[in-house]
Amino acid sequence: MSESSVTKPAPVRRKLSAGPLSTGDKLFFGTASIAANFAFVLVATILIFLLIQALPALSSQGLPFIFGTEWNNAKDPIVMQIGPMIWGSLLIGALGVVFATPLAVSLAYLIVFMLPDRSSKAAASLVDLLAALPSVILGLWGLLVFTPVAAQWSSILNSNLGWIPLFQVSTVDNGFLGSPFIAGWIVAIMIVPIITSITREVFSQLDRDLINGALALGGSRLSTFRRVIFPTSSGAVVGGVLLGLGRALGETVAIFYVLQLSFDFNWGQILEPKGGAVASMILSKFGEASQAEVSGLIAAGLVLFILTLCINFVASVIVNRAQPWRKD
Amino acid sequence: MNSSIKASTLSSENVSVWFGQRQVLSDVNLVFPANKVTALIGPSGCGKSTFIRTLNRMHELIPGAGLAGSVYLDGEDIYGQDFDAVSVRIKIGMVFQKPNPFPTMTIRDNILSGLRLSGRKAENADEVVENSLKRASIWNEVKDRLNDQAISLSGGQQQRLCIARSLAMNPQVLLLDEPCSALDPGSTRRIEETIKELSSSMTIVIVTHNMQQAQRVSDQTAFFLADDNTPGGVVEFGATEQVFSGPIDQRTNDYVNGHFG
Amino acid sequence: MSFAPRPSVQPWARVNKSRRYQIFLASVLPLTVTALIMVFSGLDQNLALVGVFLPLQLVAASLVGHLAFGRRGVGDSLLIVLVVFLSTFVLVLLVSVLVSLASQGAKAFSWTFLSQNNIYVSNTTSLDYGGVGHAMIGTLMIVGLTTVVTVPLGLAMAVYLTQSTSRTKGLVRTLTQAISGLPSVVAGLFIMSLALTLGWERSGLLGSMALLPLMLPTVARVAEEALRLVPVDLRYAALALGAPNYRAFFQVVLPAAKSGLVTAILLGVARIIGETAPLLLTVPINNGTSLNIFSGNMMTLPAYIYGYLASVFETSQNRAWGGALVLMILVGLLFGATRLLSRPKSLKSKPIKQKASK
Repeated sequence: MSESSVTKPAPVRRKLSAGPLSTGDKLFFGTASIAANFAFVLVATILIFLLIQALPALSSQGLPFIFGTEWNNAKDPIVMQIGPMIWGSLLIGALGVVFATPLAVSLAYLIVFMLPDRSSKAAASLVDLLAALPSVILGLWGLLVFTPVAAQWSSILNSNLGWIPLFQVSTVDNGFLGSPFIAGWIVAIMIVPIITSITREVFSQLDRDLINGALALGGSRLSTFRRVIFPTSSGAVVGGVLLGLGRALGETVAIFYVLQLSFDFNWGQILEPKGGAVASMILSKFGEASQAEVSGLIAAGLVLFILTLCINFVASVIVNRAQPWRKD
Repeated sequence: MNSSIKASTLSSENVSVWFGQRQVLSDVNLVFPANKVTALIGPSGCGKSTFIRTLNRMHELIPGAGLAGSVYLDGEDIYGQDFDAVSVRIKIGMVFQKPNPFPTMTIRDNILSGLRLSGRKAENADEVVENSLKRASIWNEVKDRLNDQAISLSGGQQQRLCIARSLAMNPQVLLLDEPCSALDPGSTRRIEETIKELSSSMTIVIVTHNMQQAQRVSDQTAFFLADDNTPGGVVEFGATEQVFSGPIDQRTNDYVNGHFG
Repeated sequence: MSFAPRPSVQPWARVNKSRRYQIFLASVLPLTVTALIMVFSGLDQNLALVGVFLPLQLVAASLVGHLAFGRRGVGDSLLIVLVVFLSTFVLVLLVSVLVSLASQGAKAFSWTFLSQNNIYVSNTTSLDYGGVGHAMIGTLMIVGLTTVVTVPLGLAMAVYLTQSTSRTKGLVRTLTQAISGLPSVVAGLFIMSLALTLGWERSGLLGSMALLPLMLPTVARVAEEALRLVPVDLRYAALALGAPNYRAFFQVVLPAAKSGLVTAILLGVARIIGETAPLLLTVPINNGTSLNIFSGNMMTLPAYIYGYLASVFETSQNRAWGGALVLMILVGLLFGATRLLSRPKSLKSKPIKQKASK
């Protein structure tokens, strides 16, 4: 019979799981951790090699590389500055997010709270299919099918709301083609699935009882949305929006075809055929780039990488915080 | 071939357990003699399920797990140098709270899974299957459908299949962690009968919430308790009859008579 | 009293008769009015949709809502109309993409188009000659090589994230997430930098390498979720039977997660099969067929589409649509396969009523 009341020295903790692992287990966990460490190696390698090749351009151009507004390979020494491209990427990303968020949240609401089970699954599948569209296909459709339609929207916006600086253009002669507005829509189509899937997940994790409780208290759909659904899921939606923004900044081919690149800042006249996008600029200059220019393009890629890395990091922190059930 | 393996005595000496920095058990000293059924009872959160997991080294699978003291199987420390977790678990089988047959396997394969998983060849496999299922008293119900998926069985049958799966390994000790908590009364009764039959050939430790069950199946009983914010421990340990009819400790008395918990 | 025809009749969802008329009118009237206005005034359809139809529909819906439930009905109807309108808009965009692909792509689509390569084809060559055969071979080889390397790597990462008790799991997961945000053009630039630094020639192999960081996070994440869906009890049961970790994984966890893991592979392939920018930067294009992935030029479907996309010649545009249709069919097949696999199959040991199987 044992009594635990006797005072004893503090028990010494033994080392656990020190038991010899079998060779098979050593191999199993060894392989897995090598693979896991590959993630570190990959990120490091990407940064190192980009940096090696970008260094000549970065050191010759200095800080104006990021803020300046000129790219001229005829000058000696060569001038490479991508300020308008970075700003343009952000502008298009912002437009994409503005267009995509209401669409995505509506879709998520429709899928989770309105549709019956079967059609809800079908709708979710369609959204996933949208996510699977290759960007080159979206670029093709964007150039040949969507641009004429979007140009018409632009014309309507300009003629009716032209007094707002946002919708002003210098001339209507160019038919509203190649504007950040159009590129923003293409990007929006790409990020709708991203925001939808994250929003959907948060919506479906909401406590059914909470929602039914709100309805039982005489709340309507609208007030339930405003008072219960929105406050509890807004964090995740913001995270999803940021993830979408990260994706938008990196989008290359689809934007390449629908956007008129210009090394002149377009601060916010979104219907003007004058825009920038780092990724598309890299693609457009790559074909005829000299050795010095290649370094500049890789430097631009490095800037883009760091930018998206930061945005994605913030996004994943927000998303993870908003989805506590994902923790293990 | 069951009789070729003898039941063993299991004992714990000064076992303390941590999760991270939080100590959940302190100085547990218990002896589980061969061929006896020992019940571990106590309110939720007193550490009895944690304790049973230290007996076959399942505890260490939880990240941050810590342990002090020793567990002896026939006098040998299972946390010592001479043992590894795998050989401990082969000798000391375990049945979990919820039935968990392997869903991708047939009934037959579930029985043989232990042998295959521990890398041994199943000689006379048919015999092992029949024997194990018979010892778990489920043979008559499943003998015609050995190649059906295991998840096609009812909950109670699944749990007895899990017991049979452990028996196929011929363990010296069988640990049962609230094996009936997810089952209906009929299934519970059958499992209790199985436990009694098995005790002739092995040592059995069973965690249970159900005090009638403890009284029905066990030879000796240990009462675990954890006061607020202190690690749990054994308050009383003795023959089942004595623990239930004439407990020494007032807290045991309160608990077995349903005053709390 | 007769039984309801369907088992899932929801009496509270029934709407009384007059309200049904109201709902019907509220959905048809705005559409009719808008159509009439468009026909008679020649109003632009986009303007009509947003300027006439949507306001009318909102008003009509809130009227019905008000008649039915009073003030709170108004807000609800507005919410519903808005949600349906915006969702339909996305659906219209998606359908537009698919319909354009089918209708435009069909012009070029033929056995010749699938089987021939692009040698001796100029911008104006008739669609009876030349096709995407070489590009399909190139895409399959490059994507295939990436898959062969990435899948074991991604699965091993998922194993690390789910089976081990290591403390660096969170960091690895964060890094994987970071890699998943890698812009595809940067993946191309990375391999290009690698090649420039080490003096390698551009080839299909470099294309495969550029696709790896794009595929890896998808495979690792989806595989992790698939493994996570396997109840931990099963793993513990296997370990309690004396299994070493690797046997518990290969004999119990892996079979239980099989369809999820196949989904991970399929989604990974779908993720990279249409990637364009990295291939443009790393793989020199080719009009002929090449089976040598390790050196020389090689064509891929995305690069083929890209090359013809901006052309002013109609046959060339048709070729771009044809290539896009082929690519979309491949994506669609992968996508369809994942849907088939994701059909719910219970892994939990739920008691199922005994089935007669003898």
